[in-house]
Amino acid sequence: MSDRPILPEPSLRRALRVQMDVLGALIMRELHTRFGRENLGYLWLFLEPMILAGCVALLHELSGHGLPGGMMAFPFYIISYTPHYLLRAILTRAPTALEANLPLFYHARVRLHDVLLARTLLELAAVLIAMIAFLTGLGIVTGTWPEDPVMVAMGLVMTAVLMHGMGLMVCAATAFGHAAVERVVHPATYLALPLSGAFFMLWWLPEEARQLLWWIPTVHIYEFIREAYFGPIVPYHYDLGYLALWMLVSNVLGLLALRVARPHMEA
Amino acid sequence: MLRLEGVRKSFRMPNRGQREVLRGVDALVRKGDAIGILGRNGAGKSTLMRLIAGVDHPTGGRIERGMSISWPLGYGGALHGALSGADNARFVARIYGRPVDWTIGFCEDFAELGRDMHMPVRTYSSGMQSRLALALSLAVDFDCYLVDEMVAAGDSRFASRGREELMARRGRAALIFVSHSEELIRSFCTSAAVLTQGRLFFHEDMDQAFAAYRAL
Repeated sequence: MSDRPILPEPSLRRALRVQMDVLGALIMRELHTRFGRENLGYLWLFLEPMILAGCVALLHELSGHGLPGGMMAFPFYIISYTPHYLLRAILTRAPTALEANLPLFYHARVRLHDVLLARTLLELAAVLIAMIAFLTGLGIVTGTWPEDPVMVAMGLVMTAVLMHGMGLMVCAATAFGHAAVERVVHPATYLALPLSGAFFMLWWLPEEARQLLWWIPTVHIYEFIREAYFGPIVPYHYDLGYLALWMLVSNVLGLLALRVARPHMEA
Repeated sequence: MLRLEGVRKSFRMPNRGQREVLRGVDALVRKGDAIGILGRNGAGKSTLMRLIAGVDHPTGGRIERGMSISWPLGYGGALHGALSGADNARFVARIYGRPVDWTIGFCEDFAELGRDMHMPVRTYSSGMQSRLALALSLAVDFDCYLVDEMVAAGDSRFASRGREELMARRGRAALIFVSHSEELIRSFCTSAAVLTQGRLFFHEDMDQAFAAYRAL
């Protein structure tokens, strides 16, 4: 039997080790429960976003109308749809974090936030793999490679951080009634799609519309990712400071909301 | 050490406001304590166990956990139905920093599940589930065990093995035991407390506790 005590001296290092143990175990478990070990198993993790993004991009490519500024349609929609997939995956799963994982909360060291964080990390890993596969394939077939691949990945990381904060708030809101929140979140992610910046660029639009849409944080992320992929062939509008503020505020408020709501959520 | 200070828990009732089940529970449990908790049906015993285990969170007061605390034993609640017994064991070993292979081996031996260890837990009988849950909690080797009206774990031979294992841990681990059975509480516990009207009343003397319980 192991002699390692479960609770030795309390310290930051110990707390971090526990946190890493728990996160690792949660990620492995989520992989097992969601994808099982049969058929393609874990491959679905990134095949799903790849198939969806690929189909959307292909439809736009085949429809034949080009994009302003000579941007290629297929990569444009790939790098637009993938962050949207991530956004939707994190937000629509947030309301079920407690309900779908009841057995987890029988372990005092598994906190609700750990479960949400494990999911966010998993979704992020999935879209990163999908994106790498796509852009590599595209590079080999067409010979065009991303201008700055690391920044494309950074764009996905920023999407995950922002949506994680939003997801915390969505999860906390389920304390007021789980069904209502789920019913609102699903349509909201679809209805917000036209405004999110996934399918337009600010420089296509008149000045007034541009100023209004500038307030939407995801618009900045899409512009950032496009610049990282296409390089300086068209004007881009984004402000990383503004985006950082959103990431910080949403996560702080989300953590606070979760803390307040947790006693009213029964596992 | 486990300390509860003014712990309250209320539940939202459908259309009828709140129902306060616990109204200020204070308790101090040290390693080596074995406490029986008595209370009528609906007094909040299971609610209290769930709060101590961290399954649910109190709506008021504090719970300070200075030792590792098991989930409430006696149910399969801590197990994930879609995962196999072995995957459940892997998960538990990982979160508590226990060697994975050793944990699986221990559970295989102790719960006597054989090949079923690699089947999803939802295909298990309730006896098999509680055997696995008990085996897992013993493998983790908690500082404090919560036992909720158990040891209906499997057949009588297994139940007595479970009791023996918990008995063997008395002294180095704490035990909090909820049961209606006077006999079980007397054989397991060194002191008892009565949960009534949302509060917990401790009695050093077992006979006194049972007298108070019968007077309810």
